[in-house]
Amino acid sequence: MTRAAGRGAALLLGPGLLGAGCVVWAAVPLIHTRYPTIALWMASLGVVAGALRLALAEIAVPEDTYLLTAAVKFWLRFLNVVRQVPWEEGTLVAVLWLEVLHPAPPWHTAVLGAALIAYLLAAHLAESGASPGVLRPQVRVLALGAGLLALGAGAGMVAAAGPGVGSTLLRLVAAGALITAAVLVLPYFARGEARRPAPPPPTRDVSSLIGRGLDPRTRRRTWSGRTG
Amino acid sequence: MSAAIVPDDPLLRVPGHELELGWRSSRHARRLLTLSLAGALIALLAGRPEFAGVAAPALLLLAAGRARRRDLAPARIIVRVRLSVGRAFEGEAIALEVRAEGHGDRHVWWMLHPSAEINPGDVTTADGGQARFTLVAERWGRRRVGTMSVVVRDRWRLAEGHLSVNLPVLDCYPGPADQRTTMVLRRLPNRVGEHPARTAGKGIEFFGVREYLPGDRQRSINWPASTRRGRLQVNTFATERSQDVVLLADATSDVGEPGSSALDLALRGATAAARAYLQGRDRVGVITYQWSGVSWLAPRLGRRQLDRIIVSMMTSRPLTSRAGWARGASSGRLPRAALPPGALIVVFSPLLDQRLVESLRNMRERGFTMLVVDVLNAEPPVRRRSSEDRMARQIWQMEKEAIRFSLHELGVPVVHWDGVQSLDLPQAAYVRRPLAARR
Repeated sequence: MTRAAGRGAALLLGPGLLGAGCVVWAAVPLIHTRYPTIALWMASLGVVAGALRLALAEIAVPEDTYLLTAAVKFWLRFLNVVRQVPWEEGTLVAVLWLEVLHPAPPWHTAVLGAALIAYLLAAHLAESGASPGVLRPQVRVLALGAGLLALGAGAGMVAAAGPGVGSTLLRLVAAGALITAAVLVLPYFARGEARRPAPPPPTRDVSSLIGRGLDPRTRRRTWSGRTG
Repeated sequence: MSAAIVPDDPLLRVPGHELELGWRSSRHARRLLTLSLAGALIALLAGRPEFAGVAAPALLLLAAGRARRRDLAPARIIVRVRLSVGRAFEGEAIALEVRAEGHGDRHVWWMLHPSAEINPGDVTTADGGQARFTLVAERWGRRRVGTMSVVVRDRWRLAEGHLSVNLPVLDCYPGPADQRTTMVLRRLPNRVGEHPARTAGKGIEFFGVREYLPGDRQRSINWPASTRRGRLQVNTFATERSQDVVLLADATSDVGEPGSSALDLALRGATAAARAYLQGRDRVGVITYQWSGVSWLAPRLGRRQLDRIIVSMMTSRPLTSRAGWARGASSGRLPRAALPPGALIVVFSPLLDQRLVESLRNMRERGFTMLVVDVLNAEPPVRRRSSEDRMARQIWQMEKEAIRFSLHELGVPVVHWDGVQSLDLPQAAYVRRPLAARR
């Protein structure tokens, strides 16, 4: 296996393993009731389909999708579904739901949060084909986020120690920080979506036809003619 | 996959297209937002601050990316696209080079969407400011290579600029079959060439011995013969002449599997024959027989004639128009330049059009020497347990046999070519000795 192929395999395996680890971490111990089972299935499906999407990302879709066999059409539709559905987002929601349904200590949730961030970063690296070096500018922010994650876990532990003024204050501070961050972030997305470009113009089909005027030189009367 | 930019890069000489980028949030950003919102919501509803901690890193990343977005992303970039060749034969590898300019230090990602009959191989994506793809055109025709999707990502990977580029048009010529031998007419026109004729002249092939005449070259004296006869004898050599070859490609019907249909084989066979005869210094022309008429190219010499022949066959009108209207085609209406007297005619046809058979009969009666290469490798489909279908196919086969027999009776040999083996094999019997035109 070449170095590039090994790196590609690692990039593909990384998100799958991290996603599976998150699901297992949130699901154990197993609870055989209705909602945890649904959440577990959703999370598992999301991880598998997300890994499948990354594995099939390199497959080219032909530009002209007419006059294809039924099998090829089905394959293209399957590819389209695998590529369009936001599997990772579904996985995130399902895993967090699983974690809520389980009576887990705060440090357990903090570890899950770190693993989920790692899962998202690995998925992004795999789908964009970039090296981990592109994350270097974000290291400080990630470190700060890890600190906040630990703070959240600590707050949860304080709150778990017993109800009181301190725990209520911590909750209020955390909620206020989250709302402020959300206010900062959401307009960014609204603007980004508004600028979505129009789809490229439809392309003219010339694949099965042979074009005219391939070489203007042969149109000269001295060389060729046509009767009929 | 990326390549270093060198100063004398031919890609830089290609005019660039300035295209507008459509910016939107990336999938990565949407996932981070999902994580942060879900975490915050659970923290508020369930009263568990550790979930707020789960949401915090994602929110921080989004906020930092937004703050850094002040160094605004470019609204337009310049994209240069270059094909290594504008025309290629079937199965030939072609390089497609792309380059983006004006994107700054942002990451560029390319994805190729090939059109039909274009095989991009294993690599369809690349990253970097400049990239190179390898393509193979699998079937002849004039077609656009496809489209290229370009994605420009910012440093934080939270916003993406998308655009789509139409790739250039590629002229794919039919891949010539393997043919090395050529047929030679018994009577050759009086024109210098490379085929030994049946008259003495200034060639290199031994023709005979005659008595020495004043003016003969001394080096041509045949000393053993002179010793035996007691008089000076000289060697004579066969004169070398060329012939006119007209290839007739039947484009009236295209039956069989795409890629090995009758029309595919006719064009590949005609291309191979044109190349072989042109290499033998013969004048080669082409007639493309079609429903709406006959297009032709007068016989000429030279390498460029091969290009002209291929282009002439590919730009035939029925191949480009959708309508199947027929005004009738007749070889009798062809000018003398298209069908020179005494020319060798090699026909590539599935022999499905009765009018073509009549035209062949007409040409044979005018004294042309002909060989028909049957390129039909398909039969009408037969439904299972349908005796009518089987009978219809038998009748069809008998009619085809009758056509071959009638042509054979006229002195037109018919050989079959499956498109896989060399064209030399079916023509072997007619290559060994010169072809005679019987009237």
